[in-house]
Order: sequence, then structure tokens, then C-alpha cells
Amino acid sequence: MKKITETSIRLKEMGAWMTLILFGLGVLLIVLEFIVHRHGETNLEDIPLFPAFYAFGSSVFVVIGGIILRKFIMRSEDYYGDD
Amino acid sequence: MIDLTPGLVMMLAAFVVPFIPHHIRQIVMLGAIALSAMSLSAGEGFHWIVPVLGQHLILHHADNLTFPFGVIFHLAAALNVIYGWHERKPMEHTAGLAYAGAAIAAVHAGDLISLFIWWEATAVTSVFLILASGGERAKNAAMRYLLVQVASGVLLIAGAAFLWQETGSWWFGAMELGSVGTWCIFLAFGIKAAFPFLNGWLQDAYPEATVIGTVMLSAFTTKLAIYALARGFAGTPELIWIGAAMTAFPVFFAVIENDLRRVLSFSLNNQLGFMIVAIGIGTELAINGAVAHAFAHIIYKSLLFMSMGAVLYRVGTVKASELGGLYRCMPMTMVFCIIGAMSISAFPLFSGFVAKALIMSATGYEGLVVIYIILLAASAGVLHHSGIKIPYFTFFGHDGGHDVKEAPVNMLIAMGLASVFCIGIGVLPQLFYQILPFAIDYQPYDASHIVGQLQVLIFAMLAFVFLMRSGYYPPEIRSTVLNADWFYRRLAPMILGPVMRGVLRLAQGLDGLVIRSARTIIAGVRYLSHLPMAGPVIPGPAALVQLGVLTLLLILIYVAHG
Repeated sequence: MKKITETSIRLKEMGAWMTLILFGLGVLLIVLEFIVHRHGETNLEDIPLFPAFYAFGSSVFVVIGGIILRKFIMRSEDYYGDD
Repeated sequence: MIDLTPGLVMMLAAFVVPFIPHHIRQIVMLGAIALSAMSLSAGEGFHWIVPVLGQHLILHHADNLTFPFGVIFHLAAALNVIYGWHERKPMEHTAGLAYAGAAIAAVHAGDLISLFIWWEATAVTSVFLILASGGERAKNAAMRYLLVQVASGVLLIAGAAFLWQETGSWWFGAMELGSVGTWCIFLAFGIKAAFPFLNGWLQDAYPEATVIGTVMLSAFTTKLAIYALARGFAGTPELIWIGAAMTAFPVFFAVIENDLRRVLSFSLNNQLGFMIVAIGIGTELAINGAVAHAFAHIIYKSLLFMSMGAVLYRVGTVKASELGGLYRCMPMTMVFCIIGAMSISAFPLFSGFVAKALIMSATGYEGLVVIYIILLAASAGVLHHSGIKIPYFTFFGHDGGHDVKEAPVNMLIAMGLASVFCIGIGVLPQLFYQILPFAIDYQPYDASHIVGQLQVLIFAMLAFVFLMRSGYYPPEIRSTVLNADWFYRRLAPMILGPVMRGVLRLAQGLDGLVIRSARTIIAGVRYLSHLPMAGPVIPGPAALVQLGVLTLLLILIYVAHG
């Protein structure tokens, strides 16, 4: 079990605040989507909230892809044995 | 005014650097860089041409493409000197100054032979930045790095020779793929630009260099290749897909890599992809985008490597699994790292935003929807591995229990200056755009663009929060992530090892057979010479008497015949 230090408590608090701020910004951007006439360089981008959905989806895809990739290409730290 | 090739003064100064006392040395190095930078004021044209064997070496060629690279390379060299001021061992300073000088000279080479000379000089000088780390691991990485870099040089000179045969000129200008010569040169550039499957050396070697060395390496080699591709192969459609692959694949590797300097090396590879796509498109806007991105990238990537270097210098490791909570003891480094992270992620008001916007627009204007979509996904990926992962696991995450001092003041100054450039470029894009190769009228800050980009960034960050809080985010594990270098570090020995052993065994067998046969023949001859049928065995003194008598007889016959 990890040692609970003052720093780790502070980090938890900061994490909670950061999450709140991000949610706030996310909501603000959803509202702005319908106020600002957003247009992109391709037609796809004209789909409402396309950048938001696409970025969220591709981020999850990258992480899941990384987890799958790990099964194939992750080796022990001294794999090449030249430490 | 000054016709000397930019960079040459720096290379010459590097020879005396080891013999100068520490602080004076740093000042001399800054002076050499300033003196070299003055050559940039010579203006466009051919300034130094040397006739060789009926041909001409163009040692100083300047135009609208060399200028921005000349400016940023000098700037990066100066920042590196400040960043490494605390280091009292002269090896890195000597190598670093010569390396930066060689890269600057290469940018101003007007012909392929001059380019080859400086191309190889960058390889030979930069390898010392890896060797300076010391230890077997660094030595091996340095040797692999040198082999790959020299291979690139060999391809370049071979290509130049073929091209000379085809065209009768070794002028370094725009080329078209199709002949052996141009393909060789393209591959030579591709190795240095870390094309897919040719990129292993980058992630292998850069994280093994010294604290200062990695910062230097990140600035010059690959961007020299970007310059060379922009000059030689702008508008080559193959580059669009090569670049798109480069933006996409390293992202997955960076997500699971534990060594944060290696994460940045994957991220470097991904950023190069954006530039390569733009060069492949080849329009004026796209080339401007490639150059702008290279310029901005050198600063923000240096800044990120500087911050990780500072952490390595103080904590002794940059493994994500062992870091965390450093915001408390290295707050200024943290702020600079976040500025670098926001720049690479292309937040509005930071340099990455105004540079990448040019490339994205150029892609969109050409109707390359699939490429555009790949680049957009890669942008979200960049945010993940460089924008979030680097600062999060280093300065936040969980408490790593490290209680260290803030980075040395010279490192903070270098990081501070780099941060000023990151924000300055982001805030004053029109000023920045003026040094680009082509005049443009482009406005990156319109409401639509800002809202769209912020959606990409904030929702990618929300995805990170979601994955972290739900426990899906892969934990940082001490590990080796296999990469393209596996092919020559493991696969080649696996295949060639048994083959070589077989050949050696065969050679040994043949060798033994020859020796045995020779022995048998010698023994047989000896045996036969001792058989009675070979005649009587004559003892030594008797043979001498016989020889004397025969000689006397010969003389008598000769005299008798007159």
C-alpha cells in the first residue's frame, strides 16, 4: 500500500479541482458550439461537436490501442541485456 | 558583408573549446554562435564557391528556405550553451558546438557533395553526445546510432554519384523520384528524418545521451533532414502518406513507454510526420507550414527535453514509474514544462497552434480528407503523450517521494527563454510568419478555429480523466518497448547468427580437411622418399663430395671446350 503523505493528499485535491475545471470548460465549449459559427477545412468538421467527439474517441482509441500493443511489444527492462 | 559559411566559425571554435577555462569557454561559444549568425545577413545568393576538379562546391548558398533554418539553428545552439553552462566537462560542449555548426553549414550547402560532408560531420560530432553518458549501454547505443547515420551518408554520396552520372551536375535542388540516384538520396534523407521503419535509431539513441546531449540532438539532425526534404522533394506525393504514418504510429508507442525522454523521442517522430505531410503537399502554404512547424518544434521540443533533463539531473531518473509529485520541489521547471506541453499540444496563444494551423489548413484546402482526419487524431494523441503524460507523471500523478532542489539557474534561464519564444510566437504569429519562405496572408485566430481546436484539446483531456478515473489508463511499468531497432538488434542476429555459425563451422571443417590432406600428402612423400626404390639414402658428407666432384668435372669440360 502506498504511503499517504501530505503531498499525495494535495495531489488528490488538485486532481479533483482540475477535473471540475475541465468539465466546466467542456460545458462552455458545448455552449459556444451553438453560438460561434464553427466551420472547418473539411465538410466533416461541420457536423455539430465533431472535434469534441472525434478527439474524445481517438484519445480512447489511442490508449486502448496502446494497451493491446503492449501485449505484443512489451519486454522486460533488461531485454537487450546491455545495461 | 560576411561570406563565410554559417556554422564554420562554430566548428573551428570547437577545436579550442577544450583548452579554455570553464566560464570563458561558455562565453567564447556564445561569441562563436553570434559571429556565425552574422553570416546570415549576407542575403540571398551564392556567397562562397570553391572550384574542385572542374566542378564547383557551393559552400554558402542562402535563400528564403535556408534563412528560417539558419535562424532557428543558431537560436537553438545558443539556448543549448546556456542550458549546459553548469557542465564543466568540455567533451559535450566541444561536440555540441561542432555538431550545431555542421548542421548549420549543411543547411547552406548548395551542392550534394558539400551537403554530404556536413551531413557526415553532424553524425560524427553528435555521437560524442551519446558517448559522453558513459557506460556500456550508452556506448552500444552510440555505435548503433553512428552506423545508421553513416549509412545515411553513404546513401547520400551514392545518390549524388548516380545523379552526377545522369545529369552531369551535383547541384542540390528540387528532384523527382524515379532514378536510382534520387531514390538513394530520398532514402538517405528518410533515415535522418526517421521515416517509418527507419526510425529505430532515434528512440534508441536520444534517451541514452547526456542531459544536455539529448536537448542538442533533438534540435538538429531530424530538422536538417526536414530542410533537405523541403529543398529536394517538396510536392512528392509519397511523402504525404509516409508523414501521415509517422504522425499516427509513434503515438501508440509513446502511450506505453515508461522512459519519459523516450516518450519525447516518439513524440518528436510524430511531430516530424506533420512536417513531412506538409512537404509532400508542397504548396506554398504547406511549405510555410512545414518550416513554421520545424521552427516552433525545435524550441518547444528543446524546452520539453530541457525540463526532463533538469528532472534527470536532480532526481537521477526520468522513468514515469518512479516520478511524481515534483511540482512541490521543482515548481519553475514544472511551469516551463507545461508551457512546452501546451505548445506541442497546439493550445491557442502557444507556438504549436500557429504553426500547425498552416499544415492543417493546407491539408484541408487540398481536399485530403483522410490525411486531415489522421492528423487530427494524431493531434489528440500528441496532447496525450506530450501534453498530459509528461507533466502529469513527472510533477503530479502520485507522490514519488522525491525531495530535490529546483533545477540549476542556468537551466532555468534557458527554459525561461525557450518559454518566451513559445509564447511570443503564439501571441505574435504575423511577426513569426514573416520569416517563412513564402509571403502569406493567413489568420490563425478566428473564433471558429479557436473553438474547434479547444474542443479537440479539452475533450481529449476529458478522455484522459475518464480513463484515469475508470482505471483503464495503462499503468506505468518498467519495461522495454520494442521498436524498429529490434530488427537489427534482435532479428538480424537471430537470423544471421545461425547462418554465420554455419558458415564458420563449414570453414573450420574445410580448413581441417585441407590441413589433414596436406599432412597425408607430406607423410606420403616422406614415406616414399624413404622406400628403397627411391634409391640409396645418401649421408650428408658423401653428398658434398659428390657435389664437389661434379662441379670440378663441369669446370674441366667447360675449359676443354675453350
